[in-house]
Amino acid sequence: MAKPKVSMDWLAGCAGCEMSLLDMDERIVAVANLVDIRSTPITDLKVPDESGVDVGILSGAVNNTYNEEVALRMRSRSKCLVSLGDCAVFGGVVALRNFFKLEDALKRAYVETESTDGEGHVPNDPELCIPTEVRAVSDIVKVDVNVPGRPPDADVIFYVLSELGQGRIPELKGDKLHWH
Amino acid sequence: MVTLKIDGQEVAVPDGTTVLRAAQSVGVDIPTLCDHKELAPYGGCRMCLVEVEGARTLQPSCTLPASNNMVVLTNTPKVREARKFVLTLIFSERNHFCMYCPVSGGDCELQNSAYGEGMTHWPLQPNWQPFPMDASHEDFVLDNNRCILCRRCIRACGELVGNFTLGVEERGASTLVIADLGAPLGESTCISCGTCVQVCPTGALIDRAGVFQGREKDVAHVKTTCPGCSVGCGVEMIVRDNRLVRIEGDWDAPVNDGLLCQIGRFTPMKETRERLLTPLVRKDGALKAATWDEALGAIADKLKPLAGQNGAGIAAVTSPRLTAEALHDFEQLFGAKLGSPMVTSLEPQAATPFTPGMLDALKTADCVLVAGADLITQHQVAGFFIKRNLPKGAKLIVIDSADAGSGMTDIADKALIAPKGAEAQTLAGIVTDPAIAKLIAGATKPVIVVGKSVYWDAAVKLATALNATLISVQGAANSMAAAMYKLDKPFEPKGRQAVYVALGDAQITPALAQQIEGAPFVAVQASYVSQVTAMADVVLPVEMWTEQEGHYLNLEGRWQEAHRGINAPVNVWSNEKVFEALAERVGATLDGNWNPKEGA
Repeated sequence: MAKPKVSMDWLAGCAGCEMSLLDMDERIVAVANLVDIRSTPITDLKVPDESGVDVGILSGAVNNTYNEEVALRMRSRSKCLVSLGDCAVFGGVVALRNFFKLEDALKRAYVETESTDGEGHVPNDPELCIPTEVRAVSDIVKVDVNVPGRPPDADVIFYVLSELGQGRIPELKGDKLHWH
Repeated sequence: MVTLKIDGQEVAVPDGTTVLRAAQSVGVDIPTLCDHKELAPYGGCRMCLVEVEGARTLQPSCTLPASNNMVVLTNTPKVREARKFVLTLIFSERNHFCMYCPVSGGDCELQNSAYGEGMTHWPLQPNWQPFPMDASHEDFVLDNNRCILCRRCIRACGELVGNFTLGVEERGASTLVIADLGAPLGESTCISCGTCVQVCPTGALIDRAGVFQGREKDVAHVKTTCPGCSVGCGVEMIVRDNRLVRIEGDWDAPVNDGLLCQIGRFTPMKETRERLLTPLVRKDGALKAATWDEALGAIADKLKPLAGQNGAGIAAVTSPRLTAEALHDFEQLFGAKLGSPMVTSLEPQAATPFTPGMLDALKTADCVLVAGADLITQHQVAGFFIKRNLPKGAKLIVIDSADAGSGMTDIADKALIAPKGAEAQTLAGIVTDPAIAKLIAGATKPVIVVGKSVYWDAAVKLATALNATLISVQGAANSMAAAMYKLDKPFEPKGRQAVYVALGDAQITPALAQQIEGAPFVAVQASYVSQVTAMADVVLPVEMWTEQEGHYLNLEGRWQEAHRGINAPVNVWSNEKVFEALAERVGATLDGNWNPKEGA
């Protein structure tokens, strides 16, 4: 049997989940032996194969129309979609913005920031993606495995990847289940 | 008794027991959120739903009385699905993002419940409506965004404390926990006892001092006795890395059933006095750091020649906050061994008769007469026991003194003011007031609470006549023990050659500072720098309440233990060790027989 193909991509996140993945240290060799690592944000190939992958992993929340595109693409190209980390699973820290009006948040970020010199303005280039309400990945596409954690620790990620690499759906409970 | 079957187990429980308590009694775990063992069943959260054979729908086990031959199943797929759905709805209502909550990581009952059901995500999107936060209170913060509307805080405020500050406004998902009629907590009728904070299952009520200082998995719980007053509440010190994180009421304590007042819970966390860390000896007019050997030697050299001198010898005074062991050593050293007739305690009081469990009478009293006591600002937990029974029909009669109120005048059924000098007559004469006589006549379990000795004799007579329980709430934490050791006379240091003050961690009074001013020699053993230590010739640093081991005798004569939660700084000694070392230097030995009953 060919090794399962795994792709990763990130949405509105902080790369903390990717750092945590690297925290598994030498065990990453075992994971590499188990699966065929395709596109990831930290390797050269950035986009999942058009022909599809077995496991697609998304970290970060859905924050704008570009995130939506990336999430939809990953969903359409993977057999099993994994939400990795609190932002992807719940909306996480990014979702704090939902408690304010979008215009207010943008104004605070681009106009009222203490470091703004002269007159700030909210970027409005037509080529830019459009900010939206912050959502969990599961709010826009079907997610098969949710791996909460801020970030999930390396042991949990190793467990999830090794299970998926061996064709099993990981079950998170007990010590492996934490939201913080 | 009724017999029922829970998950196949036969259970026999007294009539009226709920299914939840019956299950808990045989170790069957049913998850709950709004339930609390000290509060009346409420049925607000629906986490405890169970299947009952023959019932049309799932039943909340916390409000369902057990009945004969009932067959209950607590862990079926249907039940588990319902629990998950309940949690899904709770998470969808407000801001329950764990990642920015201080109780996340083991301390949140909501999060733990979700883990228990194996929830990896929220099936429903959260509601993004922000709710108000109230940070106006000096001791804690109310964040309605974290609230699950279990109403534990509101029930604790009313049912346990009798203060009825917390309540709700609006309805359904818009419901908000508020103080009074929407007043900011810090300006409300809140008395800052913090019981609401202790019962909150989520991060909606957050203790300011203890927040982010350590989660349950990082801390140790050490039980001790609160030295704040003579009620003697059981407290738990929550300790991390030899540092006090917060103080909680001990739910298993016989006196207070988990309740504390602001003085017990929050005040010690705001200690700002400077700690004494080394002995000090006055040299060339200034206090200089010294060794214990030097400091004890300086005191012994001064005291030894004064031993046995009646009038001009030594005056010694101790704080009644010290442990019984320390008070006994103090009395032996200065009274029996050094022969001084002026050996006493601050706030001296005469020993009053007591029976352990007197305070329990207050918890069930149907008519309470409070004479000359302010249970709103002092001995507050005793006041809670009275206030919480008033809505259940208990009657309250208060006699305020002309110079000091009871604080309960507004909530009393009848309030009198005793003219100065006529306190005893006023108390003795109350039965002639027809309104009061009527209130008393209807009582089957009356209690009289006396706060000033002028009322004592009249109160004893009245208690006998009415067959009432009589409680004296005078004095500090260990005043009863101090009285037992005869440390009960007024402190008169005038004309003495040397004054010894065993202050411990007590706050000084201006009167004490005045009394010792100008004394030829002053030795102070204390935990903190104060006006009194500044006047001293020798200062000895001693343990504070969190650092000591010993015993306290509360106002109802119950011996209670104090335990060490924090290790004292390296050069700080226990009060007993200081007395023993001093005794050795003046050529005496102390018998350490602090409890005559236990020692005999």
